[in-house]
Amino acid sequence: MRRLLVIEDGSEYSDFARLYLADEFEVTTARSASEALRMLAAESADAFLFDLRFDRAEPGTLVGDVDATARRLFGGDRGRALRYLQDQQGALILAELRSAGHAQPAVFVHDFPERRLANLRQLYGSVAAVASFDARAIGALLSR
Amino acid sequence: MAEELWRRRDFDAHRSWLAVDPNSRQGREARRRLSRADQRYREGVRRLERGEPGARDALLEGVAIAPMDPALYLPLARACRARGLEVRAEDYYKKFLRLRPDHPQAPAARLELGALDPELQGIFEPEPSQTPAPAVPIRPPPSVSLVPAFAAGAIAFAAAVALFARLFRRGLPLARLAAESPELQPSIAYLVSSVRHELLKHRIGAIGDAVRALGKGEATAEQRAFLAARLYGGEPLVLAWRGHVRAFERALGPRLDLRRADRGFREAGRAIGRIAALERALAAGDARAAERLAWAHRKLLELDADLAALATRLVRTTVDEVLLEEVVREVRSEYAAGRVELDALVIGPVAPGVSVEVFRFDLVLVLKNVVRNAILAVGRSAPPRRIALDVGVELEPTGEEAVRVRVRDTSTEALTTEAIYERRVDRGLGLVTAALTRYDGAIEVEAGSQGWAKGVTVRLFRALQSSSGVAS
Repeated sequence: MRRLLVIEDGSEYSDFARLYLADEFEVTTARSASEALRMLAAESADAFLFDLRFDRAEPGTLVGDVDATARRLFGGDRGRALRYLQDQQGALILAELRSAGHAQPAVFVHDFPERRLANLRQLYGSVAAVASFDARAIGALLSR
Repeated sequence: MAEELWRRRDFDAHRSWLAVDPNSRQGREARRRLSRADQRYREGVRRLERGEPGARDALLEGVAIAPMDPALYLPLARACRARGLEVRAEDYYKKFLRLRPDHPQAPAARLELGALDPELQGIFEPEPSQTPAPAVPIRPPPSVSLVPAFAAGAIAFAAAVALFARLFRRGLPLARLAAESPELQPSIAYLVSSVRHELLKHRIGAIGDAVRALGKGEATAEQRAFLAARLYGGEPLVLAWRGHVRAFERALGPRLDLRRADRGFREAGRAIGRIAALERALAAGDARAAERLAWAHRKLLELDADLAALATRLVRTTVDEVLLEEVVREVRSEYAAGRVELDALVIGPVAPGVSVEVFRFDLVLVLKNVVRNAILAVGRSAPPRRIALDVGVELEPTGEEAVRVRVRDTSTEALTTEAIYERRVDRGLGLVTAALTRYDGAIEVEAGSQGWAKGVTVRLFRALQSSSGVAS
């Protein structure tokens, strides 16, 4: 059976995947970039299902430099920079996985603007998104 | 003398200050102080317009330095009117019209003052030209005695025409007012959001399923009860609607004509009236009443969709050459920044098709402060005095894009990002940080290169359209 690595800060995506995608995928879950990289080092995956927002994650586990982000994008405001890193964490974890050589198809459940999705593809290769938890659409994208 | 007039709070003191010989020491000092005061006054007016704290302090700082340019009485009057300070607004309108009766904005100011207090209408009309009065004959010939009657008739006719024109003159619909008055856009967006959220969403949008079911004759008792509660429970719909319309009129002034000139609001008003009249018929299960309700519901949803589109348009600003030219033009028209002789002011390159989710008025405010600061700084430095503005886009690792508006200059004056955020520089730049914080933006001072001493970069996220059509 194919393996799906779900990367999220809670359990909603994993619960959904186990409920609707269990026929096709064996589902495992990582809650940070470092945990995902450890799991992938032990056993590879065929596809990634990403949460974008990680607002329940511990700040120390987030990908991204709060100070540098604060300086460049938020006028030195660390609070806003931290919220930004939380809100965009899924994309930043994908960047980490790609840097480590993991090029598997990645799917987000998010209503990305078209241009942003094109940007993500330009940066990270195989990236797709669906606007809502549509099991059939997600399954089709993960199986491509 | 000029100083004395100012100390006596003479509201025309500004003119006497400008009259002091600019080549004298006192003249130079007067202009320097006028320039400093002008910045404080403008900031005070801006804060008042935006409802930000510190307006009074900024204005008082200006008062402590030098008299105010009478041209500022008009924006001050408008800001007071928008904040509901009608007595003060009236006072500033009067001062503006007394001191600047021929200003291009004077006709508009007269109208606005007249709307504040109809008794003041006409009082500030321009004086007739001062030609010597003809000598009055002691005993006019019989044919001349018709002249007064003719003149009276002409005056009566003109008055009738003016009254007719006033009665039937239409103001502007909301969308056009927004397009013509960028300074009103934040208020318009707020008012639109209020009427959409409080009335169109909660009382009208929420009953969509019930209205459809009613139209098909399939409405359940729960749906009927829900519909009745939303439409006829609580504050009567007609009063709620009138309240919102009045809020628009009070905040946006007499140029707005929602009741006659704005088709969407006119039809929505009619739809609200129709809904109010249907209460008994709907309760009695009248099928024709259900049809009428469906029509009214559709009209109100159309208004909601139009307002949603307007709100999106208002908050989205294209960052192009036109915008940058407007910023430069406005700054150069100011007293202090207009007097700096520049060797070059270059606009471009500008990345094409770039928009940000910032009210145009606010973006212009931010960029004007950055450009003004750069021009004044190069004016205090040795030549060459050059300024350049450009716009670029940076791709973020999240797939988002940051729009970078950069203002480079040749001033050798020290400026750091920290100094801007800690408000250790001109307060105009401090205002920029407050505005940018609202829009998740940032300002950064970068080291210069290729002949530039430094660059001040404003970064904002690029506005992108989501696949579902909702701005993201």
